[in-house]
Amino acid sequence: MVKLMELEWRKLERNKVIGEVLIYWIIIMFMPTFFLTVVFADDPMIAFGRSYSDAIHLMLPIQMGFLLFGASLINHVFIEEYKNKTIALSFGYPISRKKLVQAKAMFIAVAVFFCTLVSFVLSGITTYVLDQMMGVINGEPTLADFMTYAIRAVTHSMVIALASLIPLFWFGLWKRLVIPTVICAIVLMQLPTILSMLRVTLNLDIVYAIISLLGMASVYLSVKLVNRLGDQ
Amino acid sequence: MNNILQTYDLTKRINGKTIISGVNLHVKQGDIYGLLGSNGAGKTTIMKMLTGLIIPTSGEIMLFGKKLTEDTKEGLKRMGSIIEYPIFFEHLTAMENLQIHCEYLGFYDKQAILQTLEMVQLQGNENKKVKEFSLGMKQRLGIVRAAITKPELIVLDEPTNGLDPIGIKDMRDLIRSLNKEYGITFLLSSHILGEIEQVAGRIGVVQSGKLVDEVAISDIRQQRSDYIELATSHVQKTAYLLEHELHMTNIKIVQGEKIRIYDAGASIGEISKVLISHEIEIQGIQKHSSTLEDYFYNQFQGGDKVG
Repeated sequence: MVKLMELEWRKLERNKVIGEVLIYWIIIMFMPTFFLTVVFADDPMIAFGRSYSDAIHLMLPIQMGFLLFGASLINHVFIEEYKNKTIALSFGYPISRKKLVQAKAMFIAVAVFFCTLVSFVLSGITTYVLDQMMGVINGEPTLADFMTYAIRAVTHSMVIALASLIPLFWFGLWKRLVIPTVICAIVLMQLPTILSMLRVTLNLDIVYAIISLLGMASVYLSVKLVNRLGDQ
Repeated sequence: MNNILQTYDLTKRINGKTIISGVNLHVKQGDIYGLLGSNGAGKTTIMKMLTGLIIPTSGEIMLFGKKLTEDTKEGLKRMGSIIEYPIFFEHLTAMENLQIHCEYLGFYDKQAILQTLEMVQLQGNENKKVKEFSLGMKQRLGIVRAAITKPELIVLDEPTNGLDPIGIKDMRDLIRSLNKEYGITFLLSSHILGEIEQVAGRIGVVQSGKLVDEVAISDIRQQRSDYIELATSHVQKTAYLLEHELHMTNIKIVQGEKIRIYDAGASIGEISKVLISHEIEIQGIQKHSSTLEDYFYNQFQGGDKVG
């Protein structure tokens, strides 16, 4: 499986993908400070700047941006392969389609997980450094804050990795449509905002659990039904 | 010789429409087997099923003596193929494409890659991106990919499509040499008889999704007969003279006023001499050969075999 995942990486236009990730990292690195100093600066109701433990709650939804990276990978790894017919090459190898889809989905999940985790580290460091220079968050981070952030970074990266696969079955494998895949990722990214606009009060952890399960269900259906979803 | 590829009642239905129906194909080890059929007859679909690209609706494929299914595709390791046109990751170099291919098959030998590139005169292009290749180069690169692991069977769908005359000849020579030197079995498809005829030893005729005939070229050549066609207004009398004066036994009256003489050794001069001496007017006399084309024309028209 690891070998198949490595081959997925080697088939990609790697410079394009690396460039894309760098852009995500750079933008997301500065987002927490930007929100604290510009967007929420004049809103006394927003409490993210009161302490590092509050700021962590702002850091989490920002990383949801990596759902878009997941959509981009679904496009490269599945949709483009079908459109360019290079998927036919893979189907001609002595590897079952189910295993190929598993490897592709796993590759996307691992790539999104790794990039999100690195992004957590980068934006954490950047926010801390900028706070030291500009004083945007009250107080200093405690050991408990570090621990919470580290645990949240790992669990949240997993949530994003799984949720990024939600568009895989319907839009990626079945319909093979790029734009709906991206729109689906944007909707998921904005889910906390959409829920609050709709005045739906849900514990965000429950939302994250649901979208993780949906991601897993999407992968399950993709693997299960790949033989029935048309040959090329 | 063993059948290394055999199908039983292979059928493919797409959206309720039967595209391929009950195909029983037999490819023997060492064969160059040509699938011949007009455009849209179903050759490519059959080949796609044989190479695991599409899943048959029903029927069985036995590849190297083992059933080929989605879960038992091991046989594909021993097979190379190009279906429709050679597809590559265009943004990667030729070498990267070939390396990825080899790794999927669990085979890696850089020297073998270079040697195979050399075999099709693509040496020096290994670090070029495939998008910079011409169609002919891609076709040859496709052959490299199909042959690189020295498979026992290579499946090529319309291998000369898009090639210039020199490229076509090179492709033909390459197929022959791989078959002769390495014993690689080939399954080729084409809608051009002349092309298949020059390389294939056995031919399968595909028509409207069915394999209507499987035959060895040598058998057709044996069946194929030279004949003399004679046109006269005195058909009955001529037939009588041919039988009794020239002792011919294999003659056939066609279209009422023509006689075909299939007897070996019959000469136009001798026949003319006898007929003139009996004052029979000869409206035309000509030697004919029934060609492979006649044979396949009859197949496609649903007619009888010539001979």
